[in-house]
Amino acid sequence: MLNARLQRQLGQGAEVIATLLVIFFVMFPLVWIGLASLKNPVDVYSTRVFFQATLDNYSAIFGPRIRLQSNIFISALVAFLTVAITVPVGAAAAYVLSRHRFRGRESLSLLILITQFVPAVVVAIPYFVLFRSLGMIDTPIALVIVYLSFTLPYAIWMLRGFFDALPVEVEEASFIDGCNELQTLRYVTVPLVMPGILVSAVFAFISAWNEFFFALILTRSNTVTLPISIMNITGVRGPQWEQLSAAGMVVMIPILVMSLFIRKYFVEGITVGAVK
Amino acid sequence: MNTPQVSTEQALKPLALKRKPHQLHSATLRWWLLGPALLLIGATVIYPMVSSFITSFRDWRLINSPDPGPFVGVQNYARAFTDRGFLNSLRVSGLYTLISVGLTLFLGLGMALLLSKPTKLNTFTRALLIFPFAVTPVLKGFSWKFMLNPEYGVYAQMVGALIPSLKGYLWLGHDFSALFVIALSEVWGWSPLFALMFIGALGSIPPETTEAAKMDGATGLQIFWKITLPLLAPVIYIVALLKTISAFKMFDQVTIMTGGGPGDSTQTLYYHVYQLAFRNLDLGYASAVSYLLVALMAAIAFFYVRTLLSPKER
Repeated sequence: MLNARLQRQLGQGAEVIATLLVIFFVMFPLVWIGLASLKNPVDVYSTRVFFQATLDNYSAIFGPRIRLQSNIFISALVAFLTVAITVPVGAAAAYVLSRHRFRGRESLSLLILITQFVPAVVVAIPYFVLFRSLGMIDTPIALVIVYLSFTLPYAIWMLRGFFDALPVEVEEASFIDGCNELQTLRYVTVPLVMPGILVSAVFAFISAWNEFFFALILTRSNTVTLPISIMNITGVRGPQWEQLSAAGMVVMIPILVMSLFIRKYFVEGITVGAVK
Repeated sequence: MNTPQVSTEQALKPLALKRKPHQLHSATLRWWLLGPALLLIGATVIYPMVSSFITSFRDWRLINSPDPGPFVGVQNYARAFTDRGFLNSLRVSGLYTLISVGLTLFLGLGMALLLSKPTKLNTFTRALLIFPFAVTPVLKGFSWKFMLNPEYGVYAQMVGALIPSLKGYLWLGHDFSALFVIALSEVWGWSPLFALMFIGALGSIPPETTEAAKMDGATGLQIFWKITLPLLAPVIYIVALLKTISAFKMFDQVTIMTGGGPGDSTQTLYYHVYQLAFRNLDLGYASAVSYLLVALMAAIAFFYVRTLLSPKER
């Protein structure tokens, strides 16, 4: 009797310890980068947890040498433009694919689903040549154009799921009340799928903000986005970890906040309807 | 009193349903709404795909000329299969995919089973699980490189304290461990997400099933193998395919953490094509190799799409 109770308590204890290990595994790299961003150049080369905190690294990355604010501006501009095109265009297409009945609807949806798997290198080679001949390398527009190649198919497929989940009866009622299709869309359908629209906007923003491959190929010195600028924070001794960490925090925090906002849809968003 | 109301509704019903809502949809509006998306997908996906395909049959080195070179038939494709660099990257990507998919599934499943009970601690922990995935891949690479530095890396020191023979081990200096560490940085991002998906799927298993098995004297391990795992199998299958596709696209952390080294031991397919196209500027050959990548992706995507669209799953 006592043995069984002891066993159960031990089991529960082991579970709690394992859960704490999970928390450690998930959060520690983020915490460590956060701590490193507050360390001075000496402490960063140690594993000290207690140290004299400083904000020097933050003033350094916004200082005259690194000027991260200009990279923030470029990244934000590219991400906003990408979202501003992706979301309305994607929502309009998703609505049609969800609601209209016409020949070729299913093959069109399938085609859009498949375009998500096209490797970025296939897109990069012709666009590199094209932008080179047009003198568009190192411009924000070039980045926005190639980013649409992955944000748009993804957003359409995700938003179609949101439209599909909305019962047709709502629109039926609006038609009976005498609204035409455009009015119904504007006053009934779009307001009802607003959560989906916001989720797809956040996903498009995050993927543009984090993008590295195209940015590496298509930027030189004028439109350096944040992921590229982080790579360039190096000194004579190699990467300057304390400044790199501070820049990392600046890049990460907006994204972590955004993912908190769409927490409920996060898993669905990534698998785009794969897991029901 | 109720009778007349019901009859009014019934009288109105045929009127309302005479035209189904989709018959009220305007075909003109349809193409106005669909047009911009088709135009943009055509320009950003279809056009480059066609263009790359054509280039893959040309000899086009950008160092020699900005204009496309002559057509050389399937020579570029033939070259790939005797090119040690390509064959190596195929092997590296295969091994990388095996490690990262396997580890992600294992850890994701473990975390899901651990956190499936709705206790306070578990609910709190689950809320943290969304964080690593969204972290910029470049930062994933940097933070793991930093933490595994043999001199001052916090993880390197922890491992050194636990296993003294690994003290000061150059994690990014050896063939297998470098690839393994790149995989770890990615497993850190994906496995919590997998855990969340599995927790969702576990929630849809009726508790009576496991209760009944327990009554019949099944052990925890038996329940896992005979009940939980088979019921999770469809979800495991689809997320494994999703992760496989993403694993074959590994590029960011390779650039940040190893640059393909030591030697060419972490030259993934993506990194290799990048080198061919944008370092060697050998566009014809790079296009051919990237089309081999397309073929590989298409094969995996076929299974993914088939499962996704099969009516049984929906």
